[in-house]
Amino acid sequence: MARVRAIEIGNFRGIKALTWHPAPGINCLIGPGDSGKSSIIDAIDLCLGARRNVQFTDADFHLLNVETPISIEITLGELDDDLKNLDAYGMYLRSFDAETGTIEDEPEKDLETVLTIKLTVASDLEPQWTLVSARAEGQGLSRSLGWGDRIRLAPTRIGAVADYHLGWRRGSVLNRVSDERADASAALAKAARDARAAFGDEAQEQLGETLGIVATTAKDLGIPIGENIKAMLDAHSVSFSGGTISLHDENGVPLRGLGTGSTRLLIAGLQREAAAHSSIILIDELEYGLEPHRIIRLLGSLGAKDAPPPLQVFMTTHSPVALRELSGNQLFVSRVGMGRHEARVVGNADGMQSTIRLYPDAFLASRVVVCEGASEVGLIRGLDQHRTTNGHDAITAKGVALVDCGGGGADRPFTRATAFQALGYRVAVVRDDDKKPTKAVEEAFVADGGRVVAWRDGCALEDELFLSLSEDGVIKLLDRAVELHGQELVNDHIKSASQNAKDLDAIRTEALIDGIAPESRVILGKAARSRKAGWFKSVTWMEDASRDIVGPDLVHADPDFRALIESIFAWAGDAG
Amino acid sequence: MPGDHIDLLAISRGTVTAPAGCGKTHLIAEALTRHGSGKPILVLTHTNAGVVALRGRLDRAGVPAKAYRLSTIDGWAMRLISTFPMRSAHKAELLHLANPRTDYPNIRAAAAKLLKAGHVSDILAANYARLIVDEYQDCSIRQHAIVGFAAQVLPTCVLGDPMQAIFGFGDDDLAKWDDDVCAYFPLAGELATPWRWMNAGAEPLGHWLLYVRDMLLRGQPIDLRTAPDGVTWVELDGSEDHQRRLRAARVRPPGGQGSVLIIGDSTKPDGQRQFASQTPGAITVEAVDLRDLVAFARAFDLAAPEALERLANFAQSVMRNVGAADLVRRVQSLVRGTARKPPTAVESSALTFVHTPSHRAAVDLLVEIGKEGGVSAHRPAVLRACIKALQLCGGTEGLSFHEAAIRVREQNRLVGRPLPRRAVGSTLLLKGLEAEVAVILNASALDARNLYVAMTRGSKNLTVCAPSPVLNPPI
Repeated sequence: MARVRAIEIGNFRGIKALTWHPAPGINCLIGPGDSGKSSIIDAIDLCLGARRNVQFTDADFHLLNVETPISIEITLGELDDDLKNLDAYGMYLRSFDAETGTIEDEPEKDLETVLTIKLTVASDLEPQWTLVSARAEGQGLSRSLGWGDRIRLAPTRIGAVADYHLGWRRGSVLNRVSDERADASAALAKAARDARAAFGDEAQEQLGETLGIVATTAKDLGIPIGENIKAMLDAHSVSFSGGTISLHDENGVPLRGLGTGSTRLLIAGLQREAAAHSSIILIDELEYGLEPHRIIRLLGSLGAKDAPPPLQVFMTTHSPVALRELSGNQLFVSRVGMGRHEARVVGNADGMQSTIRLYPDAFLASRVVVCEGASEVGLIRGLDQHRTTNGHDAITAKGVALVDCGGGGADRPFTRATAFQALGYRVAVVRDDDKKPTKAVEEAFVADGGRVVAWRDGCALEDELFLSLSEDGVIKLLDRAVELHGQELVNDHIKSASQNAKDLDAIRTEALIDGIAPESRVILGKAARSRKAGWFKSVTWMEDASRDIVGPDLVHADPDFRALIESIFAWAGDAG
Repeated sequence: MPGDHIDLLAISRGTVTAPAGCGKTHLIAEALTRHGSGKPILVLTHTNAGVVALRGRLDRAGVPAKAYRLSTIDGWAMRLISTFPMRSAHKAELLHLANPRTDYPNIRAAAAKLLKAGHVSDILAANYARLIVDEYQDCSIRQHAIVGFAAQVLPTCVLGDPMQAIFGFGDDDLAKWDDDVCAYFPLAGELATPWRWMNAGAEPLGHWLLYVRDMLLRGQPIDLRTAPDGVTWVELDGSEDHQRRLRAARVRPPGGQGSVLIIGDSTKPDGQRQFASQTPGAITVEAVDLRDLVAFARAFDLAAPEALERLANFAQSVMRNVGAADLVRRVQSLVRGTARKPPTAVESSALTFVHTPSHRAAVDLLVEIGKEGGVSAHRPAVLRACIKALQLCGGTEGLSFHEAAIRVREQNRLVGRPLPRRAVGSTLLLKGLEAEVAVILNASALDARNLYVAMTRGSKNLTVCAPSPVLNPPI
């Protein structure tokens, strides 16, 4: 039941250098493309996998720099008795301090005893696996894990293997070839059938325990393969490789007939059964082939909610569904900076968990716009839609996510924004100015590269809109408010905002005769954000109004306001 | 052979008292066999010879090698501290053993400290199912500390017999049986069936020896006249003691089969050698330090004028009927050309050595002396080691005779000593060896423990030379 306590990668593919202390359970790597997620998974696979022949090429070296060797060091804890064997590994046993992440060359009381395995590939492209120990090196000793131990430790990888099996079913080249041959050599096909009949159920008895586990696991996961699954000679393979044994359902249909998702789900479920021996599992693109409810099921079967975690999982995902199911301590953002890669834990601090649940897509984006409230989110979405119909690229398509802070104190957007900032995202805050945030908080955020777009002096979004739009725009907004909330309510709001100095009719009349007076615009802005009954205080209301009214009117609006809006899109579009 | 219903695998911390010949090794072998698969049991004993002997007996009993790991306590301690040098914080030179007298106690202290700190507790538990320590009466205080701290992690059973505690470990005192050992490892049982004598058809002797042990333990006198058949008292009345002893040493084993152990005074090794040289077919059992050989090797200088004399004296000290002084005189006259008789084969070899001194020539001379009529080795272990060392330094560039002798000595430590048909030694040297007949040359020189060890060496017959039939040795 070994677990990876520390990973150190140097000069491997996209990664120049990385040091990472993964979690004992789920390690879900997220981050933009080319941030090294897959390289990390591959590194673990290559270092811990039990393969006698691994082909390395120059392309496996970072920037093709073959002068610096590839080095992958993995420190394993939770060692079983065999791995603590004094005769075999005594000189290589070390200790790991989980608090500080430091590794000492020798075991220590109250620290975990660990082994460090190092894979080195120099320019001769020959991979070398060794155990790391300063004291052994000092004595000129060197050894690697025993082959049996490597096989036990080898992680299970759920990757392209499932596809290989599917390849047979979907009329792939292989299958087509076999069809043609079946015509050409019926005797071979018959021999295969005869062999299958002769072999009969022999495998059934030898593999009874495995079949039982497969049946139970499949049943638990809701994969319909029936109670009486069988192990039979695979007729397909007989004709090619002289006979392999594969799993078949109760009707004698090979289990690889299952969909990608089911196959992956089943392999993951089976892996958990085997966790007593090999507890590390590697999954590329967790969501691949799975509907949302099956993603949730897969995460469940990997032990995402279990304590202590039954498996140590390293996976990548781009699925908001998966993120929503995971805790912040199971999520790691992969980042490059200053020549080093990092996998930063998202963590559970300061409402991070609720951010993950509400805005999982933000974690999958490269840029995040933290909006003070629903109206700001609606505004940007609506404007984005308007811009899209006019031939601009949608900012969402450029990897920008919008996060709603849901109002609250004026510092709240910055709390959330700095959390994203700490994880290496580029972050902007769009905020009202009616309640000003603590100056130092905002300055610190900006100093760290954050961007702030604030409505002008003392304004909330509604103030800004009613002050800045053209006459036509203002009336359209007013009409939309009436449409949404009714004449009476809007009228009441205007009256109360103007302390009965004006009402709806009065303002409409102003618009018809002399144009809307500046003080009326102020009154409308105030009325529009009446407590608990804001005219556009929902994402949908504001989104619609923004798309239908604000967007088209922007060309006629106050240039300073237009500049503010355009700065948001310019920043977002900068993502490239 | 049941072990008096003592189950070593059921003892989580305890001592089993095991009088001589009561099936202790069998008890260990039986437990190891029953333990079967899974993690091995760590079995520790004291000397390398003990390891060799125990391994041989476990092999013969069919104990699977995977069931146990066998080592000396010191060897295991060295292994531990060399594997974790930073945690034991010992000086690296310690393991070179340049000063054994101080190095061994320091190694033990370092290992005890390492175990006490608990740095390797999980590793011990991962490696061994339990710990069995044999010959625990020979444990020093520091070795006892090592075992005691290991016992905090591993279920531990120690076996031994305070009546057989005759070793001392130099600067490292023995652990006291009652005060130290039994206080930490409570008494879990005592073996009481004299299997060795029962198997040899001498059950009454076996029971009588258990009675003797009990009496000696309590400081009571024993009377040889009340002993069962097989025990002979040879009276030493001062008239012809040496002759009587020599006659006793020539005793034939019952039926002419089996071997004889002749036990002399451990403080007088020269006396033992004299007996060996005067007893046909007897050879000495040598201490593993081969002190005489090492001393000879240090002093022996090929280029020195007295080289031949030293070599001849050495030959005389390990072989019967060698006249060293005559040989030296003859060679001198041959060199001067005053000798009338032509040289013998031995004298020719000696001449070759004098003319062209070499290690090779020294070996040839020793071999030639050994071939002479009437000459036989009574200290063959020393002679063989000497020849081996001379050959080794003759064939290795830059290796001195002294270094070669030390190397041979260290190699010899690791191999078992074959039991000769008729061996002379002290209780210290003969402990752990068993024969059909034991002859004690001077019972009154032995204390209670040495006497008990001496009396229990023979499975069929025992001859005791003493002035009085009543023995009342000090404890």
